[in-house]
Amino acid sequence: MVKEGKPDKLYADSVQLAYAKTLEFVSHAIIIVMALGFILYIFRLLPLTVPVETVAANWHLNATKLQMKIHHHSGWSCFEDVHTFMHGDAISYASVVFLSMATMVCLATATIAFFKEKNRIYLLITILQVLVLLVAASGKLTSGH
Amino acid sequence: MVLKNIRNWIIPGVFGLLLFLNPEMASAAEAAGVTTTAWWVWVLALFVFSFLLGIVAVLAGVGGGVLFVPIVSGFFPFHIDYVRGAGLLVALAGALSAGPPLLRKGMADLKLGLPMALVGSVSSIAGALVGLAMPAKNVEFLLGIVILGITAIMLKAGKSGYPEVKEPDALSRMLGISGCYFEEFGQHEVSWQVHRTPVATVLFLIIGFIGGMFGLGAGFANVPVFNLLMGVPLKVAVATSGLVLSINGSAAAWVYMFNGAVLPIIAVPAVGGMMLGSKIGAKLLPKVNTRTIRMIVITILAIAGFRSLLKGLGIW
Repeated sequence: MVKEGKPDKLYADSVQLAYAKTLEFVSHAIIIVMALGFILYIFRLLPLTVPVETVAANWHLNATKLQMKIHHHSGWSCFEDVHTFMHGDAISYASVVFLSMATMVCLATATIAFFKEKNRIYLLITILQVLVLLVAASGKLTSGH
Repeated sequence: MVLKNIRNWIIPGVFGLLLFLNPEMASAAEAAGVTTTAWWVWVLALFVFSFLLGIVAVLAGVGGGVLFVPIVSGFFPFHIDYVRGAGLLVALAGALSAGPPLLRKGMADLKLGLPMALVGSVSSIAGALVGLAMPAKNVEFLLGIVILGITAIMLKAGKSGYPEVKEPDALSRMLGISGCYFEEFGQHEVSWQVHRTPVATVLFLIIGFIGGMFGLGAGFANVPVFNLLMGVPLKVAVATSGLVLSINGSAAAWVYMFNGAVLPIIAVPAVGGMMLGSKIGAKLLPKVNTRTIRMIVITILAIAGFRSLLKGLGIW
């Protein structure tokens, strides 16, 4: 249905506005963290756990073989301890972890907003969605060649 | 002037880079186990290529992920595992950065997107697990088939600006899926509702699986399902598709990360280049003939699809 003229009203409800606000903050933060992490990594401003040249010499191998050969960061390994984290490649990898967590943070905001609205159906959907992402982020589901 | 620039340097730039990135070099590197080119050349080339791809993807109205995976896996020396991991992150980052204004304008709709994302994210995890367990040759062969299928969809599928839905279905009524947004172009308000929600839910399950398996953003399939099947206005379909693929992409990305298939040296320049290129593309969008660009992109996609298919068969 199409109506002429611009009415004086909002087109997004409070949940969408909350989701958008969180998403905006998180996406800007991710861009900054990714850029800084990558600079630390490729310019070797911090020591590296695996040299870039070693990664490049093996990036033709599949993920399973590369992990067996050079033990590159995977899953949450960059957060194992402070010493591991204080490496350029670990920080750059952590920025990618933040990127993957962004949706979860936004969904957590939506869950709270749906709870306040007492919208039971969407509260259940967002809780289930967060659970699916948490299972994926737990590392329980792995595959490989 | 802008159109001239696109014709003069962006499209030739994409083709030039593909020629520069000699696939023989990649194959030789794979055989020898070492790259003959300095690593930073590949990383820089990936950044520039992703930047150009970001511009072209917006102008052609396709997601970056769907172009990224077949082309980069065909012309760069990286194993397809890392290309798929990076492809998911490229699609995820693009959707995240475009999301806030679209949500505020009521174009991306949470009540429409969340139920579809829930089923899609479960199947995208399953797709990622299956894709990572398969031999690379099989993945490349199947990717070739999927990409050629997408090319056909892009050539054939119609689109409807404001589809008319006379009666919403019971499931969409129960979920409260309907909305309203202001159409800036025509200065009018558009109300919408949906039908055929159960069928669409099944299709999102399949789309999620394919997206997770091949590391593709699935906008190419989400948009027609929302628009042509459910009757969602085109702009809402495009915007909500981004929301769905950000959730599906995030779910599958974790599987790739835990399998060691995400390398920052590949993923970060790809994400950065694509995000910068998309912003430039969005600014150029009102000034260029998108139909011509779309046909060129469909051609590039078809070539990349054939190459992937032949690579999977061990012919090229």
